[in-house]
Amino acid sequence: MVRGWQDRLFNTGIYAIMAVVGLAAVVPMLYVAAVSVTPYAQVLKNGGYVLFPSEWTLAAYRKIFGTANLLQSFKVTLFITTVGTAINLLLTALTAYPLSRKALPHRNVFLFLVVFTMLFGGGLIPTYLVVKATGLLNTIWALIVPTAISSFNVLILKSFFEQLPEELFESARMDGASEALLLFRIVVPLSMPAFVTVGLFYGVGHWNQFFAAIMYLTDRSLLPLQVVVRDLLMQTIEQAENPENMVPTVTMQMAAVMVASLPVIIVYPFLQKHFTKGMLLGSIKG
Amino acid sequence: MKAHASETGTARMPSAERIARHVRLLWKFKALYVMLIPGMIYYLIYKYVPMYGVIIAFKDFDMLEGILRSDWADPWFKHFQRFFDSPYALELIRNTILISLYKLVFGTAPPIMLALVLNECRVRWYKSLVQTLSYMPHFLSWIIIYGIAIILLSQDSGIINRWIVEAGGKPIAFLTSTDWFRSVLVGTEVWQNLGWGAIIYLAAIAGIDPTLYEAARVDGASRMRMIWHITLPGIRHVIILLLILRLGHILDAGFEQIYIFYNIHVYPVADILDTWVFRTGLEQLNFSLASAVGLFKSAIGLLLVLGSNALAKRWGQNIW
Amino acid sequence: MRNWKRDAVVAASLAALVGVSVGCGSSGGGRAADQPSGGDAGAKQGAGSNEKFKITIGMEGSGLPAPQDDLIKKALDEKLNIDIEMNMIQGFSDYMNQIKVRAAAGNLPDIFQVDLVALNDFAQKGLLLDLTPYLDTKLKTAKSFMTESLMKKGMVNGNYYAITRIADVAFSSFWIRKDWLENLNLSMPTNLDELYNVAKAFTEQDPDGNGKKDTYGFTGTELGAFSPIFGAYGTAGPGSTFLKDGKVVNAYYDPGLPEALQYIQRLISENLVDPQLMTNKGTMARDQAFQGKAGIIWAGWTDIAKQEFIEQYKTVNPKAEWVQLGPPKGPYGQYDSAFDSERPSRMLALPKSLEKQPEKLQRIFDLLNYISDKEGNRLVMYGIEGRHYNVVDGKIVLTEAMAKEGNYFHYYQLTGRPNEEYLPTKFPAEENYIKYALTLPRLQSIDSNILPPAGYSAADADRYAKEEIVKFIYGKRPLSEYPAFLKTMEDTFKYKLYVEEGQKRAKELGLVK
Repeated sequence: MVRGWQDRLFNTGIYAIMAVVGLAAVVPMLYVAAVSVTPYAQVLKNGGYVLFPSEWTLAAYRKIFGTANLLQSFKVTLFITTVGTAINLLLTALTAYPLSRKALPHRNVFLFLVVFTMLFGGGLIPTYLVVKATGLLNTIWALIVPTAISSFNVLILKSFFEQLPEELFESARMDGASEALLLFRIVVPLSMPAFVTVGLFYGVGHWNQFFAAIMYLTDRSLLPLQVVVRDLLMQTIEQAENPENMVPTVTMQMAAVMVASLPVIIVYPFLQKHFTKGMLLGSIKG
Repeated sequence: MKAHASETGTARMPSAERIARHVRLLWKFKALYVMLIPGMIYYLIYKYVPMYGVIIAFKDFDMLEGILRSDWADPWFKHFQRFFDSPYALELIRNTILISLYKLVFGTAPPIMLALVLNECRVRWYKSLVQTLSYMPHFLSWIIIYGIAIILLSQDSGIINRWIVEAGGKPIAFLTSTDWFRSVLVGTEVWQNLGWGAIIYLAAIAGIDPTLYEAARVDGASRMRMIWHITLPGIRHVIILLLILRLGHILDAGFEQIYIFYNIHVYPVADILDTWVFRTGLEQLNFSLASAVGLFKSAIGLLLVLGSNALAKRWGQNIW
Repeated sequence: MRNWKRDAVVAASLAALVGVSVGCGSSGGGRAADQPSGGDAGAKQGAGSNEKFKITIGMEGSGLPAPQDDLIKKALDEKLNIDIEMNMIQGFSDYMNQIKVRAAAGNLPDIFQVDLVALNDFAQKGLLLDLTPYLDTKLKTAKSFMTESLMKKGMVNGNYYAITRIADVAFSSFWIRKDWLENLNLSMPTNLDELYNVAKAFTEQDPDGNGKKDTYGFTGTELGAFSPIFGAYGTAGPGSTFLKDGKVVNAYYDPGLPEALQYIQRLISENLVDPQLMTNKGTMARDQAFQGKAGIIWAGWTDIAKQEFIEQYKTVNPKAEWVQLGPPKGPYGQYDSAFDSERPSRMLALPKSLEKQPEKLQRIFDLLNYISDKEGNRLVMYGIEGRHYNVVDGKIVLTEAMAKEGNYFHYYQLTGRPNEEYLPTKFPAEENYIKYALTLPRLQSIDSNILPPAGYSAADADRYAKEEIVKFIYGKRPLSEYPAFLKTMEDTFKYKLYVEEGQKRAKELGLVK
C-alpha cells in the first residue's frame, strides 16, 4: 500500500482523460440528436445549432420512416450485415489461419498475393465485368460476394493468431487434433477479442455499404439502408436545380444520420463482454 | 525457414527426387492448403481477374473496344504525362504526402493511448461508457463534421474564435488560412478515429497474459512501468502491422474529407492527388488518367510496404 | 531466397495468365454495341405489337415513390403498353459512374441522361443511336415540342444524338432585407454607389437593432454572390463565355472585369461581406441570411420565397422581410447574371443497340411523342385530373394531393415542359417572384456548349484562375497585376485554346456570324 497515493494520482489522471475524451465525442452526437428533433426554424433562431431543444418535433423522423422503401432497405441491410459478416468471418478465418502457421511452405507467396490486392486493383470496369460474368448483377449477393474477404482483416486475424503460444498447437497435435479442430475449437475461442473486432469491422462495413449498391443494383427493392437515406437527403453539396426539389433541412439531415447510425452504435456495448482477458491462461493450464 | 531439401550449391539432387520430396512436404500440410482454397478462389475471381484493368493506364481506353482491344497509348506513358505535365503536379504530391504523414504521425498514438487509458480504468461501467461514447464520431459523415467545424471554427461566429476575442485576442481563420487548414484536417480526423481506432488495440490488450501483470506487481512495479514493459510490447504486433499498412496508403490522404472541407483559399495546401483527379475527371470521361494516377499511388505504396516490412523484421514483426 | 523469388514469379504469372484469359472471355463481349441492353431481361421480342415492352430509364435524382405507388408510371404504362423501370441515382458523379460501367459492359438503359462530355464521348465511340433519321418522321411531335434550336445543342459531328429537355428559366436575383432598409431609412439601391452605401449601412449601423455589430452587407456562396455586380460592369462572372453585341466575349478579357473586381475588393476590405463567403457550402449562406447575418444575398426564388422558407425566417424574426432587388446600374451595364436560356435542362440519349429492336424503339418514340403532346404533357406536368388538379374556368388549379404526391412528376418530363405556363401554375403563391426573376436583364451565357479542347486542362486553369481572383478581391494580390495574371493563364495554362474553342463553337451553333 506504499503505492497508494501514486495509484490514486494515476487513477485520477486516467478518469480525467476519459472524461475529456467522452465529452469530446458525445457533445457532437448530442448536437446531432438535438437538431434532429428541433424544428428547423428554431434551429435557425438559435444561431444554427442546438444542444438542448426547447421545442420538439418528430416530423423529420416521421418523414424518414414514411419514405417508400425504408423498411425494405432496413431488411436488406440487416440481411447483408448478418449473413455477410458470417461469410466474411468464416472465409477470413480460413484464410488467416494457415497463413499464421510459420511452417507452411510457400507461405510468403500467399501472403504477398493477399497484401498485393490491398494496393493494386483493376478498377471499376473490370470488377463490374467480373461481377456481371459471375451472375451477381442486380442480386443481393453483389453486396456480399465481391467484398467477401478484406486483406486488411486477414492480416489482423493472422497477427492475432500468431500471438498464440506454440505449445498450444504442439500439445493439441500430440493429442491428435486436426487442423480444423484446432482452428474452430481452440484458436477461434481464444482469439475472441480479435474475432469480435474483425466482425465489427465487417459488420459496420456492410451496414454502411453504399457504393457497391449504386454500381451493381438497379432493382429498387434491393437497395440497402444507406442508399435510401442518402437519396432522401440529396446530400450533395451542389445546389438543387429543379424548383420542385425539396432540399432537406439540417433537421432532416441529422435525423437521417441518427437513423442510419444508431443501430450500430447500440450493438457494440453488447460485444464488449467478449473482450475479456485470461481465457488463454485457462486453456494452457488445461 | 523453409523445410525444403537443402541446397548446398555443390551437391544437386536429381530433380525427380527433389520434386517428390517437395510434394511430400506439401502433402503434410494439406489440411492447411485446403483451408486456403475458398479464400484463394475468391481472390482469384474478384481481385486478380479484374487486375488486367490496370493496363487501362497504358491504353487509350475505348469503351466500344473494351480494355484489351483498345489502342495502346502513344507514348505509353501518355496518361502519366498528363498528370506530371500539370503545373500543380509537384504541389499535389507534396500536399498528399505531407497531409498523410501528419495524419500518420499525429494519428497513430492517440488511439493507442486511449486504449491504454481505458484498460487501466478499474471502474467497469465508466470504462464501458466512455468506450462507447468515444467511437460515436466514427459514424458521422464528413458533411456533418464540416458543419460542426464551421460552428466551432468559423472566423467570425465560431465558438472558439468568440472565446479568443473575449480573451482579447484576434480571431483565427482556421478554415481559410493556409497555416491552420492542415491542422484542422488532421485534428478532425484524429478526433473522428480516436475511439474506433482504439478498439483493435483493446482487443490486443485482452490477449496479454494476466500473469505477467501479477508477477510485475509482486516485483513492485508501478502502473506506468507495467504499461511500458508489458502492455505496450504486448500490442506491438498490431501497432507495427497497422503502421506498415498505413504506409502502403500514404498517397491516400483522405479524399472525401478534403473534398468537403477545402475551399479556394486553401487549395495550395489542401489539393491532393485524388481531388485533382476528381476535378479533371469531370471534364472528360478519362478512365485512363484516373487509372494512371491510381497505378502511380499503388506503386509507391508497394515500395513503402516492402521497405517498412523489411524494417519491421528487426522487431520480428514482419508480415512476411 | 532463390526459391521464394521463383515461387513468386510462377504464382504471379499464373494469376496473370488466368486473369487475361478470363478477361479475354468477358470483354470479348467488349463490343458494347452488339449486346442487347439490360432492359430486355424479361421482355419478349415477340412478333405482335401487343407486347408490353420494358423500358429502362436512367436518370440522376431521387425521390420516386415505389413503383406500385407511382401514378405517372402507371398511367404511362397503361396508355402506351410499356413497363417503365426508372433507374435513379442521387448525385451526378455517382450516376455517371454507373452509366460508365454499364456502357463498358454493354447493358445501358434504354434511355439515359448524359452530360455534354458523355454525349460527345459516347457518340464518337458509336455507342449512341443516331436520332437524325427519325426526327422528321417518328419523332416529329417530340421534335417540334423541343424545337430545333435546342436540339442543335445535342449534336455531335453533324448528327443529332440527344433528346434535349426544354431549357430552364432563370430564378435568380438579389434579395434584400426590406425591413432593414426601413429601419435605417434607406431606399432600395438602384446603382453601384447606392448598393455600396446600403451594404455599409447594414454592416455598421446595426440594422436589426440588437445593439450588436453582428451583421454584414452581403453573404453568398463564393463568387456567385456578386453576379449582379459583374453585370453592372457589363460582364459575367470570371471564367464565363457569353454573347454581347453579337460577339463572343470571354469574361477574363472583358475590360469590365478588373473594374468589377476592384469594386468587390473594396467591399471585402471594408468588411461588408460575410467572412465565411468562401467556406459556405450547400444552403449555408441562405441559412445564415435567414438567421439575420446579412442583408443582401443573391439566390433563386426557389431558395427564399417558397412558403416554408418564409415561415422559417419569420420564425427567427417576425419582422423580417426579404424582397427581390433588381441588378444595380453600373458604368457598363445592368445585368443580373449570365444565363444560358438555351441550355437543355437535361440531355437523354439512346443506346445504339436499340436499332436491333425496332418494336421497342417504336415504343420509346411513342413515349417521347406522347409526353410532348398536349395530353401526355399535361399528365407529366400536373398529374391526374381530379386527383392532383382541377380545371376551373379554363385554368388549372392544383389540389392538396399535388403538394404531397407531385414532387417526382418532373422526372417524367423527359422532353420538358413550357415553363412560362408551368411555373406559375405549379407555384401559384410564388407567381410574382417567378415573373420578376424571369424578366430581369441577363447576358446570354454559352458556357455549357464549350468542351475543353485537347491540350487544355480546364481543371488546372480553373483552379489557378479562381485562386488568383480570390487573391485579388481579398487584397492579397494587387489588381495592377491583372495583366500578368492573364499572361500566366495564356502561357502556363494555355487558356487561349479554350477561348478559341468558344469562338469556334459559337459559330458552329450559329450563335454568331
